[in-house]
Order: sequence, then C-alpha cells, then structure tokens
Amino acid sequence: MTSPSASSRKALSKIACNRLQKELVEWQVNPPAGFKHKVTDNLQRWIIEVTGAPGTLYAGETYQLQVDFPEHYPMEAPQVIFVPPAPPHPHIYSNGHICLDILYDSWSPAMTVSSICISLLSMLSSSPAKQRPADNDRYVKNCKNGRSPKETRWWFHDDKV
Amino acid sequence: MDVSKKFTTDQSRCRELAMSSSFCRRIYSEVEEVGWEHLLKLGEDLSFLSFRILDNKGRAYILEITLDKTYPRYPPSVSADVPCNFNLEWTSNSKLRDVVKQFHEHVYKLQDFWSTLDDIDRSLWVTDPKQSHHAMSYRQIKMGNDCSIILSVNSGDPRSLPECRFLGSDGKVNFLREIWKRNCKKWAKEKSFPENLARVFDTHLLEPPHGEKNEEQVECGICYAQYLPIDDELGAKSGSATDHTCENGNCNRAFHSVCLGDWLRSITTTRQSFDVLFGNCPYCSDPIALKISTKK
Repeated sequence: MTSPSASSRKALSKIACNRLQKELVEWQVNPPAGFKHKVTDNLQRWIIEVTGAPGTLYAGETYQLQVDFPEHYPMEAPQVIFVPPAPPHPHIYSNGHICLDILYDSWSPAMTVSSICISLLSMLSSSPAKQRPADNDRYVKNCKNGRSPKETRWWFHDDKV
Repeated sequence: MDVSKKFTTDQSRCRELAMSSSFCRRIYSEVEEVGWEHLLKLGEDLSFLSFRILDNKGRAYILEITLDKTYPRYPPSVSADVPCNFNLEWTSNSKLRDVVKQFHEHVYKLQDFWSTLDDIDRSLWVTDPKQSHHAMSYRQIKMGNDCSIILSVNSGDPRSLPECRFLGSDGKVNFLREIWKRNCKKWAKEKSFPENLARVFDTHLLEPPHGEKNEEQVECGICYAQYLPIDDELGAKSGSATDHTCENGNCNRAFHSVCLGDWLRSITTTRQSFDVLFGNCPYCSDPIALKISTKK
C-alpha cells in the first residue's frame, strides 16, 4: 500500500532533481525541530522520522513519514503519508493518509518539505483527542489496491485541528 | 526708420563681437593657466566650462563655471558636487586659476568628511543612496529587524555625533531610539564612525551584502536554480537566467518564466487571455501577469 502511485513512478526531471538537492542541503543545515531525515540515496523518496512535541498528546512518540516526489515536483505536491502505524488523529486515516489541504489543492511551489513538516507537527500538536476520522473504515476500504491519497477528492471542512 | 533700426542692431552686434573676442582671448589664456588637461567641457561661446579636479585620494570632482559678459568684473557662477556651498572670494585681479585654487582648498577641508563616508560605505550595509555623489551627506543603513536608520554626517565636523532618523515599525523604532538616546554620549570623536555606531547601538552592525547574497536573490523561487538546465525540451529557454520578477515591492521574487508558466497552467484558478496568463505569485499571492510564448 506504500507503493508509489502512477504519477510519481516516473523518474525526477532535471528541474525536480536540482530543487530537491537544494532542499536537502537546506534541511541538513537547518532541519525543522522534531524531524529527522533518514539518510538514503533515494532522492525521490524521503523517509522522515517525526517525534511528537513535548506537552502534546503525542509527546515522545515517534512516527515515520514517507514523502514521494512526482516527476515534475514542485509543480505538483509531493505525496506525504504516515508509514503505518499512523498516529491516531481526527485527520489521519489508519492507512497513513493525511487530510491536509496543503498536500493537495493548496500546494504551492513556495512550500517545501520542511514547511510541510512544520504544518504536520502543528496539526498533531493541536489535536484534541487521539481519534480516527469518523469515516476511517469506509475510506481505508476504498483505498485498497494501493491508491495514492492524491487521487482522493478531499473535502477540507475543519480548520480547527 | 527700418534703415536706422538696422544700423543700431549692427552696431550693437559689432560691439558684442569685439567684446566677445577680447573675452575669448582672455578665457583662452586663463584656461591655459589652469591647464588644458583639467578641462572637461567648453561651451561653444565659451560662456560655460567645467574642470575635472582630483584630490590626493584620487576622488574626482566636477567644477562647473558659468561666465557672463560681466566677467571678470563680477565673479563667475560656480557649482560643484560638494556639500555646503563654496564661497568664491573675488577681486579685480582674480582669474579662473584662482577659482580652481580655492576649490582645491575647499575639497581639501572636506577630506575627512569623504573619508568618513567611504568608511561607512565599506563597512556597513548602506541601502541608500545606491550611487552616491560627493555632495550627499546622508546614508541609510540597514539595522536588521526591518529597521533602518538615516544618518546625516556633518560635513564641517564629520567625526561628531551625526543626526539620526529611524525607519521601521513603531515598536522596533522606539526601541532603537531609546538606545540611541541613552548611549549617544558614548560617541567618541577619536574612534571611527562604524566603531562609534556599534558602541552606541551596543550591537554588531550588518555588513554590506556580498556578491553571493545578490546571486541568491536571482534564484528562481520555483526551481531554486539561477539558470534553467540545458535541455532540448526547453528550446530557446534552455540554460537561461530568471526573467520574471513579482511586481510586489515587498516580494520581488524572481522566477524563470518557464517555471512560473508551468505552475500557473497547472492550477485551475489561473485565467488566460490571448497569450497572457493571469494568476497569483506563489509567494505573496499578489496578482501576476505572465506573457507566454505561443510557440514551443
């Protein structure tokens, strides 16, 4: 289920490669607090470890994010999912899919992996309860056969969490 | 009637010519005294001339002199790119040579002033004037935190405490102003100007930006590269530098029109009218209009 979707299976373009290398250097110089990039030689798939912020429901817990970049990044958003087990959160499905607008409709090339991470941590930190989305089972069942969350038609209704 | 009128105008013209010819002779010999190598410009009727004067640091000054028919009974009018007017002393025996000599003395008195300004330009982040003239006695200096100060250096006493104005948001500016008020008595004439500023503000001041910084600004906000890759797919744009800048003065992001066009075409909110794409800057969201080439 973590296999890359059709859109990201193609190799990175020169422009995408160049931009990602620069993002990676910037990350190494100035990593976002609470995140660790697991070193691999695969520029197209980043595995990032996130540690819940102190004083929040997820304090001290660690989770893994998998970031897959499409051929024409940053024209398209990267695909970002939690590698199961995903943190229980009202906007995170048990298959790791995340309901967050900047990963889909509100993506802009002005954003970076680092800025996405900061948004994700703030989403975790403001969670009121360790709880799955109401439609978790239905959604996860529909996503069998490894569908990308980018193919989901997301409905962003809650801006409080 | 017509005949007599013509006669008088001819007469006056003759007189004028006679005058102008002795005038010409005089100017010629006076310029010779100064030295032709210093002469920069000479008006057709010799009523205007300018000299290029060097000081001992190699800084060049332009001295412009306008002469009318009353010369040399009355002094010529003189202007130059120096602060504070330079007052010409004129006697019946004075010549252009004396104008140049007095200007030299004036420039000599201001050496400390220009050395102070050079020192500021070398060691601090000056945002204005971008291109300074010798007559300008102010410098706008970046202080960080989106604040700037404007310093007016006293040309007569350049090492003294300058007049300081503050630019930025109220809170931050008040903070700087308080420090300035509290510490300005620490200003010591024997210390260099940048050193004094750092003492008064009790901080390390920003240095002038290096060449690298400027290069960073011309990197594309989308692909992060200064130049597009060399790639046949990009056609004529292959390897080109950023060529579009967001017009919002606070944003000023640079882009390759190729990258910006690709982005604008990929989102549904962009509108196209003929060969112009209307969308928003990915950074500041201000409207952006991008002309696209129709042929690939």
